[in-house]
Amino acid sequence: MMEMATERLNGSREKNNIYQPNPMEITKIIQETWDTKTFHIQFQDPSQGKNFSFLSGQFAEYSVFGEGEATFCISSSPTRPDHLEFSVKRVGRVTYALHQLNEGDIVGFRGPYGNYFPLDKLKGKTLVFIGGGIGLAPLRSLIHNVLDNRSDYNEIIILYGARSPQDLCFKYDLEAWDNNSSVKMITTVDAGDKDWKGKVGLVPMVLEEIGPSAKGAVAITCGPPIMIRYTLKSLEKLGFTPSQVWTTLEMKMKCGLGKCGRCNIGPIYVCKDGPVFSFEEIRNFASDEF
Amino acid sequence: MSKGPKMYRKITKENVIKLLAGLKGRAEVLGPAQVNGLWAFRPFNGQDLDQGFQNSRLPPKGLFFESLRELFEWKAPAGDFQLTPLPPPEGQRVIFGIKPCDARALKILEPVFTKDYQDIFYLKNLSRTLLLGQACRTQCVGSFCTEMGIDPQDSADCDLLLRETPGGYVAKISTERGQVLIEGNNFFEKASAEDWDAARGEIKGKRAKPVFDLEKVKGRIGARFMDEDLWKRVSAKCINCGICTYLCPTCHCFDLSDLQMPGQGIRYRCGDSCAFPSFTKMPVHNPREEKWRRYRQRVSHKFNFFHQNWQMIACVGCGRCVAHCPVNLDLREVLLEVAR
Repeated sequence: MMEMATERLNGSREKNNIYQPNPMEITKIIQETWDTKTFHIQFQDPSQGKNFSFLSGQFAEYSVFGEGEATFCISSSPTRPDHLEFSVKRVGRVTYALHQLNEGDIVGFRGPYGNYFPLDKLKGKTLVFIGGGIGLAPLRSLIHNVLDNRSDYNEIIILYGARSPQDLCFKYDLEAWDNNSSVKMITTVDAGDKDWKGKVGLVPMVLEEIGPSAKGAVAITCGPPIMIRYTLKSLEKLGFTPSQVWTTLEMKMKCGLGKCGRCNIGPIYVCKDGPVFSFEEIRNFASDEF
Repeated sequence: MSKGPKMYRKITKENVIKLLAGLKGRAEVLGPAQVNGLWAFRPFNGQDLDQGFQNSRLPPKGLFFESLRELFEWKAPAGDFQLTPLPPPEGQRVIFGIKPCDARALKILEPVFTKDYQDIFYLKNLSRTLLLGQACRTQCVGSFCTEMGIDPQDSADCDLLLRETPGGYVAKISTERGQVLIEGNNFFEKASAEDWDAARGEIKGKRAKPVFDLEKVKGRIGARFMDEDLWKRVSAKCINCGICTYLCPTCHCFDLSDLQMPGQGIRYRCGDSCAFPSFTKMPVHNPREEKWRRYRQRVSHKFNFFHQNWQMIACVGCGRCVAHCPVNLDLREVLLEVAR
């Protein structure tokens, strides 16, 4: 009778093991700064690569088997699908382990997870990208994405800041964007050195100095919490409304599936309902936890 | 809520023992047993049906959402990496003696693990387990099930629920699975809704008045979120031990972690707690660094956020957190404050 009793509830609902990552091979490692590396990875099984797709703003869970899993955005663009990229600042156990790996080594990949930047709302608009430090990584996916469809957008302004010239990530991208006549590229550091030709000053101050018009524009920002807080104030001064400003939130995550409880802010799970939000949405969280 | 058959049967104690003994050959039969003086669900001896069991110290949640669940293993001999998923648990189970509060808790956890991304381990544990519940006769220490809208003598969440009578039991069958259990054997006799109602007994130690009004809590908790003084006041004596989350039948925060051995390893899912400061700690920021924020998160998640997402309150009033808090932090008093 037990067999009969439970048989009816078993069935096709049970599918895959959602915690199981795909093994991927590291094909290239770029030392971005003294503590940050970018990894290029490819599916070990090419057939899995063919079925894989993602959108700018989404993230994944990356494993170093034996050390654990950590959350990073996918920093490459879906318009350049031959491999995936993610960038890692060395701060803890898993990031340290990732930094010990070599080209040819295996990492685990679970994803893509979360929502993505609303490309349909950005089309035809002037885009103001404001990034700080490693916070450029998620913006970079979107920047490559819009540059690969350049005619869909109006003016493109990129403001990127770091603590010092040595702390600038993606220098090869910064150079390419600087040489791209369809992009207005501004780089700033908190403290320059004798060779530094860019601006010196904090991101919000430089933003007010270049003063992009809010008319027909959308700002997309990511960086340290303190930078975002003051950048918001500067954008407000420039006339940007909360619905014109988008960001990607960072919260501690483990599962990426809206279950484990870490990234919960009010009814929102940043991993499942985010990580991309407009400040209009964030204002409605009625929370002080981000 | 289960939508299934609602029917009634009578069964003698001797026949319950025979039924459980018969099931033993085909399923793992778990029932209340004392282990080192604490009640737990263990392989059932099939003899004593009632030795004064009120409820288990640990909720039966752990039989579904295990405190440690192995997810997959890997082997990497000489650079050749092999990942193997570990299968979900197999075999039919019967839990005899589960209480209406804990059966409801399993229903509350169901959407978390089976909606959006389906956790095959939880899903399989649900589908392979028959809940043969027993109605309560004593109010548990610290409990507030009735305040939470749970009838300790009734449950549609159990496949079959027993109410004790002088001669044996009256059973209510709420699911198709429960219906299959009563078919094909001679252990059960016909019974009516009147028999079921007549078997409702007194609850020993039942309070005359409810401690708090749940509707008032639901109405106030959202507005109370930003009341820093309230949360600081109510959480002042909390020592962050996490026992409330460990004993809670609906707490489900978890961690994913690795066990590494030479050339191989296992990833497992294990319990975690929002009471711990490291739970949300990031390199440069911790949104719930302070104790009052973590306590606010636990109460707000159960009584507000979870309700917004799944239309259920993630608390069944079992009272374990009240009875076993080392500093007597009483959730009922906190809810009274919230509702004020």
